[in-house]
Amino acid sequence: MINTKIVTVMLACAVFFLVLDLIRREKLTFKYAAFWIFVSGGAAFFAIFDRVLFRMASFLGFQLPSNFIFFTLLSVFVFLGLLMTIFLCQQNSRNEMTAQKIGLLELEIEQMKSRKVLDNEAGKDDS
Amino acid sequence: MKPKILVIVPAYNEAGNISATIQEISSLHLSRCFGDTEVSVLVVNDGSSDATAQHARKAGALVVSLPFNLGIGGAVQTGFKFAREQGFHFAVQVDGDGQHDVAFLEAIIRPVFNGEVDMTIGSRFLPPHLGYQSSFFRRIGIHFFARLISFLTEYKITDPTSGFRAYNKKMIEIFARYYPQDFPEPEAIVVAGRYKARIKEVPVTMRKRAQGNSSIRYFKTLYYMIKVTFAILLDKLKSPREA
Repeated sequence: MINTKIVTVMLACAVFFLVLDLIRREKLTFKYAAFWIFVSGGAAFFAIFDRVLFRMASFLGFQLPSNFIFFTLLSVFVFLGLLMTIFLCQQNSRNEMTAQKIGLLELEIEQMKSRKVLDNEAGKDDS
Repeated sequence: MKPKILVIVPAYNEAGNISATIQEISSLHLSRCFGDTEVSVLVVNDGSSDATAQHARKAGALVVSLPFNLGIGGAVQTGFKFAREQGFHFAVQVDGDGQHDVAFLEAIIRPVFNGEVDMTIGSRFLPPHLGYQSSFFRRIGIHFFARLISFLTEYKITDPTSGFRAYNKKMIEIFARYYPQDFPEPEAIVVAGRYKARIKEVPVTMRKRAQGNSSIRYFKTLYYMIKVTFAILLDKLKSPREA
């Protein structure tokens, strides 16, 4: 039991420090890292205070605490998957808007450039 | 102030067809057909890897080149955004692959130009012309969507997948803000229904593609039908967006 606790706490610490390092190296922003910090904190807490976990499992009607853990993990990942899909769609539509804006601005710049060339030529003719 | 008409031509790897399409449009002298109007042709080069943009520019069109492929919905919406920003009063959509017979452009624009309706759709299934009507399986799909859209909206549409369409300023504003990206043609009718747009179908003929491959050919018809049906049903659940 002690060994399991140690492994879980170590794993949670590894995730926690990995996330901190990713933030430090600017590979991850706090907005997205917050969830993983929370998860690693929760894992460490429940590993140390496992009685809380057992009580919660029994209160919610799970016959085995392990069932409760698996159920919770599965629920969290389903929620996380949905959240990631929402972010992905947001990014996709932002990409599309940016691409459209770039295309339209390019055309505007081209039109301005050709107008400038015409104006310059007209200026030369006048002088 | 002269009324301004924008012909939007979305094109993806259409170097072989685009010049001919633009020349055909130019030869119609649309500005004369509608009195004193200003007509511009805008090719939306949807991230083509060939010389579509160069050919279109050479043929005399304005060209917006998107940095990567957005698909037909994103390309057409770029045209609406351009029309809105440049103050066009009417827009007409013509595919760059030569499938749409541009001889019908005047017929497509006329009801919108006269203020009878907000949007027209060129239908290949309305008499009297009845030319090329697509392959058998696609026709099944088109008729299915026609029934579905007629059931879900107040419109009796025969050709919901036709991209040969004309729009007035009201529709330009709406579609510049939001244009469906997944299956734009049938979905756009449902969107137009949300804004109580007046829609009319105009008989046209369509041609077989001159060169290249239609992207739809790669979809398994049934899978495509299921996906579009879901998209249309989901569209029906949405509410109009605020400006």
